[in-house]
Amino acid sequence: MNSKMNGKTGIVGALLLLAIVSTACGNNDNGANGSAANGANASGTNANAAGTNAADATNAAANNAAAADTTATDATTNAAATNAAADAPAANKGTLTVYLNDFDDIVKPMFEEQTGYKLDVVSGNGAEIMSRIEAEKGNPHWDVVWMDAMPSIEGLDKQGELLTGWSPANASGLTDFAKSFVPTDNAYFPTGAHAAGVIVYNKNEIKAEDAPKSWKDFTDAKYKGMIGMADPAVAAPAYPFVSWFFQDQGMDAGKSYFSSLLKNGLHVYPKNPNVVEALSGGEIKVAALQESNAYVMKNGGEPIEIVWPQDGAPASVRVAAIQKDTKNAEAAKAFVEFLLDPKTQQALVDKGDESYFEPSVAGAKPKADREANAKLVVAKADWASDNEAEIKQWFSDQSVK
Amino acid sequence: MVLRPIGEIVTARTTDGRLGWPVMLLLFILVLCPLGAVIVQVLLPGIFFGSLKFGDWRILLEIAQRPLWQKSLENSVLLASGTTVFATALGGTLAIVRATRAFPTARLLDAAVWVLIITPSFILSQGWVMFAAPKGLAFSMFGSHGVSSFVFSPAGLIAVMTLSKFPLAYLSVYSAMEWKVDSLSQAARLNGASPFTAWRTIQAPLLMPAVLAGAALVFMDTIGDFGLPASISAVYRFPTLPYSIYSAIYTSPIRFDMAGVLSFYLVLLIGAAMVLQFYAMRRSRYDFLNSRAERLVPKPSGKLALPLAAGNVLLLAVIFGIPIGTNIWMSFAKTASGGVKSGNWTLSNYASLFDDGQQLLRGLGHSLLIAAAAALIALLIGLGVAYVLTYSTFRHKRMIETISILTLAVPGVVLGIGYIFVWNQPWLERVGLLLYGTPWILVLASVAGAIPIITRMLVGAMAKVPAQLLTAAQLYGGSFFGRIRVILVPLIRGALLSAALAAFGSGVFDLAVNSILFPPNFLTLPVSINKAFEDLKFGYASAATVFGSAIVILIILVAELLLRRKEVKA
Repeated sequence: MNSKMNGKTGIVGALLLLAIVSTACGNNDNGANGSAANGANASGTNANAAGTNAADATNAAANNAAAADTTATDATTNAAATNAAADAPAANKGTLTVYLNDFDDIVKPMFEEQTGYKLDVVSGNGAEIMSRIEAEKGNPHWDVVWMDAMPSIEGLDKQGELLTGWSPANASGLTDFAKSFVPTDNAYFPTGAHAAGVIVYNKNEIKAEDAPKSWKDFTDAKYKGMIGMADPAVAAPAYPFVSWFFQDQGMDAGKSYFSSLLKNGLHVYPKNPNVVEALSGGEIKVAALQESNAYVMKNGGEPIEIVWPQDGAPASVRVAAIQKDTKNAEAAKAFVEFLLDPKTQQALVDKGDESYFEPSVAGAKPKADREANAKLVVAKADWASDNEAEIKQWFSDQSVK
Repeated sequence: MVLRPIGEIVTARTTDGRLGWPVMLLLFILVLCPLGAVIVQVLLPGIFFGSLKFGDWRILLEIAQRPLWQKSLENSVLLASGTTVFATALGGTLAIVRATRAFPTARLLDAAVWVLIITPSFILSQGWVMFAAPKGLAFSMFGSHGVSSFVFSPAGLIAVMTLSKFPLAYLSVYSAMEWKVDSLSQAARLNGASPFTAWRTIQAPLLMPAVLAGAALVFMDTIGDFGLPASISAVYRFPTLPYSIYSAIYTSPIRFDMAGVLSFYLVLLIGAAMVLQFYAMRRSRYDFLNSRAERLVPKPSGKLALPLAAGNVLLLAVIFGIPIGTNIWMSFAKTASGGVKSGNWTLSNYASLFDDGQQLLRGLGHSLLIAAAAALIALLIGLGVAYVLTYSTFRHKRMIETISILTLAVPGVVLGIGYIFVWNQPWLERVGLLLYGTPWILVLASVAGAIPIITRMLVGAMAKVPAQLLTAAQLYGGSFFGRIRVILVPLIRGALLSAALAAFGSGVFDLAVNSILFPPNFLTLPVSINKAFEDLKFGYASAATVFGSAIVILIILVAELLLRRKEVKA
């Protein structure tokens, strides 16, 4: 760098240099998939790759013992290997990188065992995973994205980031409800849907007959200052929830509905777990809460009751999509097939951390204690995707009023 | 923080000036490139994806049109300024008392300060929220709602932030009080000044660099904090700049350009704060150390011992007891709403830390290694930066100073995205430098995150060491590194240790950078804790935090014992 420049031109010059370098080097000559290519330098991480999946500990279920066993043996096999591609003959089939926001601890061992591919997972919250995908656009590291963020993944399809025109054999098993979410270009496939918001109330504070029965009841003055929900501008599941109101009633009616909630003293929390804390801490008595969170709370002994509203609970659909330039197309397709297998979805219901959902294929049953006639309503993905920026901005601007 | 060089010897300039450019280059790679990569999105949004299209520069002026941005800017400035004033006053006072007086329980204060520094703000806010909620721990223990209505108000937010951030100011002042020169105060006393006047006019002003260094740290850390204000202010909506940045990133299509603009405003704010500080420091000299300096040893407090100890215990009950105590309680509780009843106690949260095939321990191991490596590398860089700022006449000192503190205020998620832009370019693969997707990226980002704390603390400590000491050594033929090793390092040993440990401790739990950069299948402790929180395993999350903190505190205490005790050989 030239030592004559003063501070300001230094920054500008540096940025220009950066710009020139990065454009000169062109885009997308995606050698090998980055994470795989670098596997060997990732000093020592591979040795235990099989063991370190981002499992989050406390799956009390006994299955964990079994899973731990397989990973432990995997880890020992791998420990001797110097790089990821040398552990078993199956590993020659390559490594698949999946970005997801739930179920990593279940799908990894299961998929590896069933198919012989090695599975690398990056697990985070929806917004972080989307940020990573967006920031990696020049050199993607992911082969498959599998998240309950249908509008955002629809957005990736609009930008031409997804593999289209391929349909998994297992798609024939999709339920009629699930089929309605498959886009015409087959860019992604639903693996399940769950309520992004059901009504929960503290039964120590509110009698069953006084509890809200429908979303309209939230505007009732008797709940003034008692209701909470997650912030669509920050919490990933909150957007599918609010977008349904806007699509169902129209933009203006949606705004006036949420304005009246805010006038009624609605508490808006950054994320669903904060809503749960506010409920157990007594800050609020009623909430619109993501359904797995609601059941976990109830089963954990918190004094809450769950109401499935008559007009339907706005749902979030979990979908899987393949990166269009993937170097591991076969493994990626095998993974989507695997997700649409009733056995896989049953395992997610039985052992998962987000296990309260309606499976997308016939032959898998939702949790026994989940409401039998749970009615889910879903905002159209392309509509929700087109209006996402406007709706989220409207919400974040409300915090000023 | 920077002094007018005095008695500067021409030869000293040449070597010291030479250090300026390498330091600048390092900061450029670690901080400015990633941050610039995000800010450049405003003008060239497709730059890293191989498309050269121009953005709409008018977005820079959107702050005038968007009420949310205006409001969050105002709120951030208000919150950061308020917190800075109170936290610096509290931290400075405590440090002075702790350094000059011996009283029982003083060691507990040291420990509490370390715990607060390493505990991530989202955990602290959990503690406050669970404590102060209407049906929370406070209600369960005292049966009153007063706590709740105070904490969940703007004044309460500033109070909570003050109690969470004052350790930065405390540590900065405390580590700068390692040496004292009594002759100055003695001269004043001989001339008839009362002990208080001597303190007020001589000792207190000499602490100025350290106080301002601490204040700067508090300001930056507060203005960049997303977790605490967001969790506490949900009740009355108090959007801050980091909130607006997150809401720009958490939409789709993702607005990196908006995040860039808002980060740019943050950078301007920081620049302004640094300029203010520079003018506050400009007229004075603080390099008072000379051959008569002696180590400051706390004096016995005599009659004051008991009141001091009582006040300390009361303080600890609030600053440590509430946020950390609530988390410790949560880690032993079956349900959050079960209160402190005997039936609500359990050890299962801790048991579950170990029943997932060592998952958590492996994550903790990763985090400890990364934080330790980052602290050591950042200590070397920070030493260089602080040296340039204090003793060199390098032309771009102002700029170096501003860059060195940026990462504390810019939300980690922005820095993380910048790191992806910079370190995920396809051409890097050909030169073997595609660091994104490997653990090295976490080390780099952690180094960047550690630089501000280390630099500020060292600058505060170096201000006392006169340049003549170094130039004298140079006249006797000492080499540049020899001078630093033999003269400077022993004089600021305490600050070096505090700085490295603070960086290490906070690095272990640094969530924002970790969560956006970790390679596949590579778990780190903060990511595991956050995941447990998202899955509503509050007890597990608290247990993991308490366990992780205990290990880190143990490491810090051992390091303190091994290194602090070594007296400098004269």
